[in-house]
Amino acid sequence: MPLDQETTDVLIGGYLSTDAAHEDYQAVLSCGARLWGAVVVSKDLEGNLSVEQTDHMVEEGAAGLASVGFVVGLFAPPLLAATAIGAALGAVGGKVLHRRTGSKIEESAGETIPIGGAGLIVAYKHADAETVEPAVTRAISKVVGEADGHHVEALKGALADAQKKLAEDST
Amino acid sequence: MTEHDRSRLPIRRETFAGAAGRTLDGSQPDWNLIGHPAPPDGAPNVLLVLIDDAGFGNPATFGGPIRTPNYTRMAEAGLRYNRFHVTALCSPTRAALLTGRNNHAVGFGSVGEFAGGFPGYSATLPRDCAPLPRILRDNGYSTAAFGKWHLTPDGQQGPAGPFDRWPNGWGFEYFYGILGGGSSQWDPCLAENQKIIGTPEDFYDEEHPYYFPDAMADRTIEWLHGVRGQDAGKPFFVYYSTGCSHAPHHVAKDWADRYKGQFDQGWDRLREQTFARQKELGVIPADAELTPRDPAFPAWDDVPDTLKPFYARQMEVYAGYSENADHNVGRVIDAIDELGELDNTLIIWIWGDNGASMEGTVTGSFNELTMQNGIPLTDEMQLQLTERYGGLEAWSSSLMAPHYGAAWAWAGNTPFRWGKQVGSHLGGTRNPMVVHWPGHITDAGGLRTPFAHVIDVAPTILDLAGIPAPDTVDGIEQEPLHGTSFVASLTDGAAPEHRTQQYFETIGNRAMYKDGWWLAMRTERIPWLLTPEALAPYAPGVWDPDAGPAELYYLPDDFTQAQDLAAEHPDKVQELKDLFWEEAERYKVLPLLATLSTFFGMLPPLPAETTFAYRGDVQNVMPGMIPRIYNRSYAITADLVVPEGSAEGVIVAEADHLGGFTLYVKDGKLTHTYSMMGVFVFRQVAEEDLPTGDVTVRMEFEADEAKPATGGNVTLLIDGRPVGKGRMDHTVPVRFSGYSGMDIGRDNGGVVDRAYEDKKPFAFTGTVKKVVFDVTPHLSDQDELDIHAAEQHGQAAHGLSA
Repeated sequence: MPLDQETTDVLIGGYLSTDAAHEDYQAVLSCGARLWGAVVVSKDLEGNLSVEQTDHMVEEGAAGLASVGFVVGLFAPPLLAATAIGAALGAVGGKVLHRRTGSKIEESAGETIPIGGAGLIVAYKHADAETVEPAVTRAISKVVGEADGHHVEALKGALADAQKKLAEDST
Repeated sequence: MTEHDRSRLPIRRETFAGAAGRTLDGSQPDWNLIGHPAPPDGAPNVLLVLIDDAGFGNPATFGGPIRTPNYTRMAEAGLRYNRFHVTALCSPTRAALLTGRNNHAVGFGSVGEFAGGFPGYSATLPRDCAPLPRILRDNGYSTAAFGKWHLTPDGQQGPAGPFDRWPNGWGFEYFYGILGGGSSQWDPCLAENQKIIGTPEDFYDEEHPYYFPDAMADRTIEWLHGVRGQDAGKPFFVYYSTGCSHAPHHVAKDWADRYKGQFDQGWDRLREQTFARQKELGVIPADAELTPRDPAFPAWDDVPDTLKPFYARQMEVYAGYSENADHNVGRVIDAIDELGELDNTLIIWIWGDNGASMEGTVTGSFNELTMQNGIPLTDEMQLQLTERYGGLEAWSSSLMAPHYGAAWAWAGNTPFRWGKQVGSHLGGTRNPMVVHWPGHITDAGGLRTPFAHVIDVAPTILDLAGIPAPDTVDGIEQEPLHGTSFVASLTDGAAPEHRTQQYFETIGNRAMYKDGWWLAMRTERIPWLLTPEALAPYAPGVWDPDAGPAELYYLPDDFTQAQDLAAEHPDKVQELKDLFWEEAERYKVLPLLATLSTFFGMLPPLPAETTFAYRGDVQNVMPGMIPRIYNRSYAITADLVVPEGSAEGVIVAEADHLGGFTLYVKDGKLTHTYSMMGVFVFRQVAEEDLPTGDVTVRMEFEADEAKPATGGNVTLLIDGRPVGKGRMDHTVPVRFSGYSGMDIGRDNGGVVDRAYEDKKPFAFTGTVKKVVFDVTPHLSDQDELDIHAAEQHGQAAHGLSA
């Protein structure tokens, strides 16, 4: 079935370690589902950024995930939403959702991935959700957006949907 | 030998027994004048060893899983005591141990950090309670302390003292160690006598890195050799107080690896195994019952398989860390033996000061300060942060400040319930003790069972040395010792019990022991929970201590507190409740929960200082004494001289990558890095190079709101001109570090920003003339008061975990 007749899902996962993100990245690559694309971006303790992507959409001549942008908002909530010492110490706001569309992934992720953290984006057809989503086991935060339409528009729509859910989770 | 009046200290100097004429003609010298008081004949050397945050069921000597060959050899040539008791908290046990008096009565109802406004909680030793080292010193002993101190209030650990709260002021002629409650074992901020000497130089030796437990033993042996080099006969008193097994659990990997796979069975099975060995050894009665697991601790079978290796590694490290402590105590004992003085040395070795610590919470933590800063992390988050800093194999390295999960501590307290902070139950109050004194103990390898308490140790030492507790010291009439000597038990296994009653109180958890009966009155708060919900039942006007649950045990028949007899003996319950109140009044225990008073609105005065200035040569400012920048806007301004060709290095840095801040110059760019406990790391870099000559740089943090852990915006300025900016979404609400200091002009010890790890300590190559912190009060007085209250809550939480 052509891509533009499918519902497209985009899963975004956030991690506190690069190892965990790469573990999930490898898991989704080998889960058996056809992916439209997967990207894992991480930043080491010295602040150096690394990007790894297997963007199948490039094969179809469509724009890859990197070109439609990288999204974060993954890392704060619910990390500090509660507190062991008391509510006085728990009144911590969520991370502002950063949105970067149309920019290079290195630029956007460089600003938004925290030192020592990592993010994963996976795009796939909705019909494969039951195969892909269980493969992502280690994300600290995880959202899935979805959209219909032409493949690039569907990707953008799914990303936007995921971003919206992240923002809701952050409040 | 001259007989001295030892009831008044210091001992009066000798009366001149010679003759002093107008000239030497006819004059007679009296050489006794230049001597010094000597202890009574036969007074032995004393080695007093205290292990930290460990439980009854930890050392193999008492059936535990941790190999302790030196502890065992002392026990086999000496005596095991299996009914020895402590106070369920760190500083209180130490204060009782070193004074022979109940901890509240000497101001240590809580820890050294928490200097409160009630007599039993002032963390300040009264002058009418001269401590054991002072008494021994004044009676002619050489005295020294090595390792952890934890009896100096938080804000008094700098060059301004006052030093009567430091080890020298307690009577130790030499001190080498840490003043606080816990420390990195790799880069401690050390104190020597009356100076903070900071990070040891060997920390920078990658081939032979510094390790505090090794250095403690080295320094002790060196000191002993020095004393003996000077005086072959003067007895010594060495207080050897290990930082182990307190968090952070730091040890070389090979020590931890010795326990690979040995805890894969989990804490539930470990308890059963330990319990069985304890019975085989005979250190618990054959009819003892293993107490059940409280729901506060998860069942091992409920831990996901993916996380079991994470938890197992926590205990492997703790075990290796503890075995290393045994190893280093063994080195000190060997050195005494090599001097030929083991037979004349009384060794008292207590394995734990308050039971094992449950303060790592259920998950354990890659950074123990996360709990104290109120940052809840799931075990998956903890695992990922562990991976970030090197993975499970690096758990014991300087990259982390780890604490294990609470259930491991509970297992370490086998066969009892609970642990540290829980003064109502034996898990927090009963620890192993071994006494070794060849030639005097005739029943080598024997077991002793008198009900003994840590306040009995000092009277026992004085008893054996033939030294009376003084009536006056420095002209001040002295409070009598509360402890009682257990000397009779050393030679007579059937000696009558020297102690028939004792109260216990730690953070509202109370017990009253009398003639075998133990009344346990535990608050229902889980020790690691200080949420408003958890504290609400204990608010003034709400809490009625007598209305809370009370359990009654008869210990001669029930070694482990397994059978609650309260319902069957209501009269005994009431009798012991009444006796507790009498004792509490007598020993300054009241008001109960003074330790938590800040949570209920009883706050110390609001600090007035808003400006803190440091000249360029200030280093090793202890973490409890850095400017109060938490939870508010502040600025750091530094006056520099930058030579031609630029400069690089650290201008000011506090603590390390697991929590701290640094303002530095690298590659010509002014940079500010802020680590929110190693969970989030924020960095801002100037967009232009640092100029040369006289330069003023500034970092401004503008807080979003008057809330703990507030986020905010950062601006970097050079000579008043903005040159960079950034955002910090979360800041540290309570404390960056429990042990790592602040330095001007360098970043001593572990660095804050790993980007200059290869250049540590990254001393500034120009000149730092002055660094000034300006903290900005919140606009509203109420906001300022609320933040002050929150900070005090955090300090109390930190103190309870120290």
